[in-house]
Amino acid sequence: MAEREQDSTVNQDQCAKQVESGNIQGDEQTPDKQMSDVMSGSSLLAPEAVKSPQPQPRPRPKKAPELPIFECKNWLIHQHYIRKEYELCKSLIKEELQESQGMCEYAIYVQALIMRQEGNIQESLELFQTCSLLNPQSVENLKQVARSLFLLGKHKSAIDVYNEASKMNMKDWEIFHNLGVCHLFLKEYPKAKENLKLAIQYSRHEVSFQMLARVYLLEHDVDMALDIYKRAVEFSPENPDLLTNLGLLYLQTGQFQRAFEHLGNALTYDPVHVKAIMAAGSMMQSHGDFDVALTKYRVAAASTPESAPLWNNIAMCFFGKKKYVAAISCLKRAVYLAPFDWKVQYNLGLVHLTMQQYASAFHYLSAAINIRPKMGELYMLLAVALTHLEDEQNARRAYEQAVLFDQKNASVNLNYCIFLMNHGERKAAVRQFSVFEQKLQEARKHSSSVDQELLDMAARLGPSLHLGENLVWNKQQGADTANSHSQHPSRAPLPTAHTNNAPPTMDKEAPVPTAPPAELEPTAPPPEADLDALPSPPTHPVEEETESRRGDSQRVAVQAD
Amino acid sequence: MASTDMEQKGQGSPKGVLEKVTSSHEGNAKWLHAHYDPYSTLYTFSSCIALADLHGDGDNKLIIANLGTGKYDMKLKVYKGTTLMTENTIIDLPTAVCTFFMDTHDPRTPAVAVASGPYIYVYKNLRPYFKFTLPPLDVNPVEQDLWNQAKEDKIDVQVLKEMLESLRADGSEGTLTVRSLRFLMLDPEDMPTFANLHKHSPLKRQTVITCMTTLKKSHSEEDAISCLVIGTESKDIYILDPEAFTVLTKMVLPSVPVFLDVTGLFDVEFRIVVSCRNGNIYSLKKGSKAPKYSIELSSQPVGLQRMGKNVVVGCMDQTLQCYTTKGKRLWVLTLPANVMTMELMDYKSRGFKAIMVALDNCEVHVYNEKYLVNTIKTEDIVTGMKFGRFGREDGALVMTTKGGGLIVKILKRNSVFEEKDSRPGPPASQNQKLNIPKKTKLYVDQTMRERENAVTMHRMFQRDLYRLRLDAARSYVKALETSMTPMSADPLEPLKLSATVNGIGPSFKLTVNLQNTSSATPSINLLITFQYDEKLYQLQRTSIKVPLLVPGLNYAFQTLVECISDKAIADTIKVFVLRKGKSMPIITGNINMPVSEAQVVV
Repeated sequence: MAEREQDSTVNQDQCAKQVESGNIQGDEQTPDKQMSDVMSGSSLLAPEAVKSPQPQPRPRPKKAPELPIFECKNWLIHQHYIRKEYELCKSLIKEELQESQGMCEYAIYVQALIMRQEGNIQESLELFQTCSLLNPQSVENLKQVARSLFLLGKHKSAIDVYNEASKMNMKDWEIFHNLGVCHLFLKEYPKAKENLKLAIQYSRHEVSFQMLARVYLLEHDVDMALDIYKRAVEFSPENPDLLTNLGLLYLQTGQFQRAFEHLGNALTYDPVHVKAIMAAGSMMQSHGDFDVALTKYRVAAASTPESAPLWNNIAMCFFGKKKYVAAISCLKRAVYLAPFDWKVQYNLGLVHLTMQQYASAFHYLSAAINIRPKMGELYMLLAVALTHLEDEQNARRAYEQAVLFDQKNASVNLNYCIFLMNHGERKAAVRQFSVFEQKLQEARKHSSSVDQELLDMAARLGPSLHLGENLVWNKQQGADTANSHSQHPSRAPLPTAHTNNAPPTMDKEAPVPTAPPAELEPTAPPPEADLDALPSPPTHPVEEETESRRGDSQRVAVQAD
Repeated sequence: MASTDMEQKGQGSPKGVLEKVTSSHEGNAKWLHAHYDPYSTLYTFSSCIALADLHGDGDNKLIIANLGTGKYDMKLKVYKGTTLMTENTIIDLPTAVCTFFMDTHDPRTPAVAVASGPYIYVYKNLRPYFKFTLPPLDVNPVEQDLWNQAKEDKIDVQVLKEMLESLRADGSEGTLTVRSLRFLMLDPEDMPTFANLHKHSPLKRQTVITCMTTLKKSHSEEDAISCLVIGTESKDIYILDPEAFTVLTKMVLPSVPVFLDVTGLFDVEFRIVVSCRNGNIYSLKKGSKAPKYSIELSSQPVGLQRMGKNVVVGCMDQTLQCYTTKGKRLWVLTLPANVMTMELMDYKSRGFKAIMVALDNCEVHVYNEKYLVNTIKTEDIVTGMKFGRFGREDGALVMTTKGGGLIVKILKRNSVFEEKDSRPGPPASQNQKLNIPKKTKLYVDQTMRERENAVTMHRMFQRDLYRLRLDAARSYVKALETSMTPMSADPLEPLKLSATVNGIGPSFKLTVNLQNTSSATPSINLLITFQYDEKLYQLQRTSIKVPLLVPGLNYAFQTLVECISDKAIADTIKVFVLRKGKSMPIITGNINMPVSEAQVVV
């Protein structure tokens, strides 16, 4: 009681002061000021009104108190919301809603936004629906209802709500963009495209371009997708995501120069963009720039240390640099992170073959085959491993499988041919050799880069098969060498990359093929083995990389959505 | 692996520390630390902070409208230097504070305008001087009519209520007034008193101010007369005459304004850039009633500043974006943390302009164009910032923190900001070593062994693998043959068995659950029996007759098990399900009995 009395006295004191100040102010008032008061028609600032809200005895007792409006704290809620101070926001909203008995639309709206941020999408949907009940004229509320429906995976209902919203606002890109995305998820691609194009027409946004390109990719229309990305990059030339995606598409269409240009641009704007690093790194790898690729990968390793494709690529860089142990430890990390990725298993098999650890290689390769049972190259490597493990019967079966599944890779047939030669089956060997020649010609038609090592090996093998010097192959080879010589300087570093990769293997084998006919028959296995195993490695890590990178980029894309 | 880890950390940490020291040192080299009071109990925003020479004595005061606790204790605080000079109570939450010259009298002292709710309180010489009320919005004519009738007692409260409710549900004429809404919220018995209390005062629909700034009227001098520009919850922008406090211009926006930025002169040409709650930024010019250009942002803006002809926006998605006023995006920067507030650093004595961005990692970044030129580390998260002349110092930076603290820093007069990026080119992680374990002797030995004995290793492995598979297959067949499994493999007897043991001993209760897993055929003529060590256990029922089993239902059969051994040993009890007349069980279950507690003898 005493305290309260004190309080009241203090209040009175204050009042007294205020009245005093008011008086002073009154004294100070100039006629000019009073004029302005009259002109504006606003009341003189009564000191009580500013300082103490409690109703004092008034001349007219019936005067109603001022009613504060419901929206008076919206600005404060918004200020805290944009600063992501959600806890504060929630307590403010709670007070507001108590005050207004749930009639304050904006408070509910922000509460729903926060709910959605926190992952309670169903609750947010209900709140947004309340909002649109309170204010059925608002397009924003409808858009948010639809957005929550979309996040809940109810694409059809989301489309209905968006359509309703688009009746109220005909030119809102957001509505059309989201309609497009909903149709995309419902696999209604033509409608998706239509809506996304409308969205871009009303207002250009990067996301719309990305989604439209994605629809085209889902329809396997790479050229259109490429076109869309080009437009997107034109619109926003500094967006590393767009640049990376464009680069990847160029890569897919075989335009390596442009691809590298765009990936490089992406990296200048964002030097830690993992996707761009992976793509650019794999391109560098395929050109034999292992050290540069490794420095780039270091950046990626700092931000995504648990990416299996990254460690796979790092490992193959080490493999290219002949650091086999480092390669194996990186691959083992990759396989730990992604035990069902056949590419990692494949590379492990390859590296172990190179390390002459045939028993281990066998295990990794058979694991890879279990994951991906229809790939010729895997069977070929397995056959090589089995040859070394002196399991002739199974090696032969593996080769048969390899030849059955493989369409393009000439080395499969060459290796089988050598294997057959070593086991004295010349007729079968000749047959494989001719298939090899066919494939080689085919490969030459499409891309001019053929592994030099393969050609050398074939050149040595030819005579031993008694096919004579006057075969198609030889003419071809003569032409080819001339070709490759003339092309070498002008072409990109692609062929040199191969040779870079090749030498180690070549050196090792060199003694073997020197006298093929003599050594072939009786005790061939060990040298033949070398022969066999080694042509393959150079072709693979390279191919492997681009493939694994592509795989990775796809994965990233999926995650991003 | 572990050892290399350690090594790398060992190598990495001193470098990291060094970097930190240099960078913070660099930040502080440009600023003098003037004042830090962590217990100022300030709860405010950048919009509620102002610096002005209130007494015309060349000494700039700091004016802060404090939101207090958010409910009471709202104060207008004025600091002279770092000491609190005066405090005025504000009755409602202050939204914004501006200082402006409203007349040409000498001495040239600016007035302070505090926006709060629907009012602007103007203080002169730190005394309350004038209160401006926002013009009321149009009231729904039907609603007006209803209250007029209520006033003249033509309709009773019940009718009023029903009519207002239908009006609200209709919703086509915008929202109702607060009076009607409050009235509808009341209990029926409170309605008459409320109506009687309020019906005599005029009905009005009010709105509140959401943001406020100033615009020079006809001259651009420092002490020229300025108009107030205010944004309201009703999506309007008003420009007020500083002398008569009349509305000079009204403009309408598509959404509620949040941040305002005004340049130009009212009488000549001006441009208002305003960010709204729908995440868009609109640009208004003199004479335009509605916005011309709009910038659609991907997320809500947290701060908006003008740099020359461009607009710099900090967004909720941790980006700083720059646009031309026509809406073309010039650049985007990704920030390391969330934006808290932004402020323009206009250091006139050197002609240097930059954008200051306070982040929630206790840093304030200074950007010149898109280049980070300086970083200030603070003791707490900065929520409000003002750069300008404070006291007699031109380059003062006043910051309020989340914890209620007040920080003042002064820009050193000799400090120069290099107009280029202070960030290093390649990311630091490029020089970090990859974490690759070294090869061990054991590994090399194993590799050598494999190289030498690959063939034998492979053959051994294959042989053992075949044997393992053979063994597995054999045991499986055996289990199937003797029905050792709790699931019946015989399609004619589709049964499933499970068992539980309850109790701690020496008495246990053993429950056998039996289920017929077929879809239609019932099982009949079944028996349950047990096999156990008679020296250890004694069963109450050794054989249970099973009734007809309806498919799908679960049947429970119980028996008590007594452990008769006092040694703490346990054994398994086998449960067999048999068909009458056959000795071969259909299914078998092994129950591992728990060790029995010793019998307590009293």
